[in-house]
Amino acid sequence: MKVKLWGTRGSIPSPGPETIRYGGNTSCVGVTLSDGSMLALDAGTGIRSLGLALATEPARLHILLTHLHLDHIQGLVFFAPAFRSQTEIVIWGPASPEASLRDRIARYISAPLSPVEVRELPCDVSFRHCPEAEWEIGPARIRAASVAHRGPTLGYRIDDGDSSLAYIPDHEPALGADIDALEEDWISGLGLARDASLLIHDGQYADAEYPDHIGWGHSSLSHAISFARRANAERTVLFHHDPMHSDERLDQLGREARERWAAVGGREGGIELAAEHAEYELPAHAASAASAS
Amino acid sequence: MTQQKPLELILARNLMSALSTPAFLVDEGGVLVFYNEAAGALLGKRFEELGKVGAEEWGSLFGPFDENGEPIPYDDLPLVVAVRNGRPAHADFEISSIDGSRHRIEASAFPILTAHGSQGAIAVFWPAGSSNGAGH
Repeated sequence: MKVKLWGTRGSIPSPGPETIRYGGNTSCVGVTLSDGSMLALDAGTGIRSLGLALATEPARLHILLTHLHLDHIQGLVFFAPAFRSQTEIVIWGPASPEASLRDRIARYISAPLSPVEVRELPCDVSFRHCPEAEWEIGPARIRAASVAHRGPTLGYRIDDGDSSLAYIPDHEPALGADIDALEEDWISGLGLARDASLLIHDGQYADAEYPDHIGWGHSSLSHAISFARRANAERTVLFHHDPMHSDERLDQLGREARERWAAVGGREGGIELAAEHAEYELPAHAASAASAS
Repeated sequence: MTQQKPLELILARNLMSALSTPAFLVDEGGVLVFYNEAAGALLGKRFEELGKVGAEEWGSLFGPFDENGEPIPYDDLPLVVAVRNGRPAHADFEISSIDGSRHRIEASAFPILTAHGSQGAIAVFWPAGSSNGAGH
């Protein structure tokens, strides 16, 4: 399984000279499964670059949305494969008692917010609510579970052979809870992340920023580290950077994360900050470490 | 792999942990999976000391008793009605603490319904006739 980060930013795109290295595009992760099947995790503005980079047009693409906040769907109408009639796109996302996934997404892909309507997309697009039980896409087993964020929000786990990716980009597992003290089954998202080869997890706030954002649905650095430690993921990538965090600030947070990870006994190289265009090749066998480029 | 509790139960427990109102939480199968410190004070035993208790077992730990002192059938408890029938329920009755003392309370229970069906139920307790649920 190959993983590439196309958008690592949270909340709002933040392009500029101060965000060149970690990137300014919002959430999108490309996943190539062992049989070549292609998944996109979220459709923030990063999905535009993913679409442009597809050398050969896959006949079928799956887009797995964690939730429908704008920073996770904004790139949908700029995703080139959606405008090709030979492409089939399956969009998965959380169910809501209020309206279907299609209708909720159509609120964005419609006038006056969008120049095109869902029904006008040339591709063959379908919308599916994620089932409660595990399902399969190509060779992968996919699992979705609700996680602590604002509104219906999912985290995903993708198992392909012996490798596994957990993707929980918007997550506040410490809301009203002490992650270090709780039993494992009472920690939001932990069942998805447990022993994952690669965990991509919310790390939006520095600890000093978190008290002003309690309940906003995101993690502090300390909470992300605690969650990763409890999950025992082989490698953790902190994701969904705050738009106010420059490359310089993220360098500082990265150093702090590594130091604190080491202080709690974490393996060297076990935690890092997400950078746009970073790639990870997950091991075919769980015993070997994920490699990055 | 760890079987995570449904998020709705996790959030319910987190909320209940912060409340001074005594509250019970059961899962979809009726297993008592949590009660908060205020409930622990009322019952005379913290949840951490007791641990989770199976359906049809937890009711008998604390009574409950009707106005004649007779045990109330498990099936009639508000929490059981809420989790089984998916609707709110209310009753007043007496419970017995670990030390044997009796407390007359009112209990309101409501189901936790999600897109995937019922995930459990919550019951909150008030001392009978009181104007708030702080219990002390």
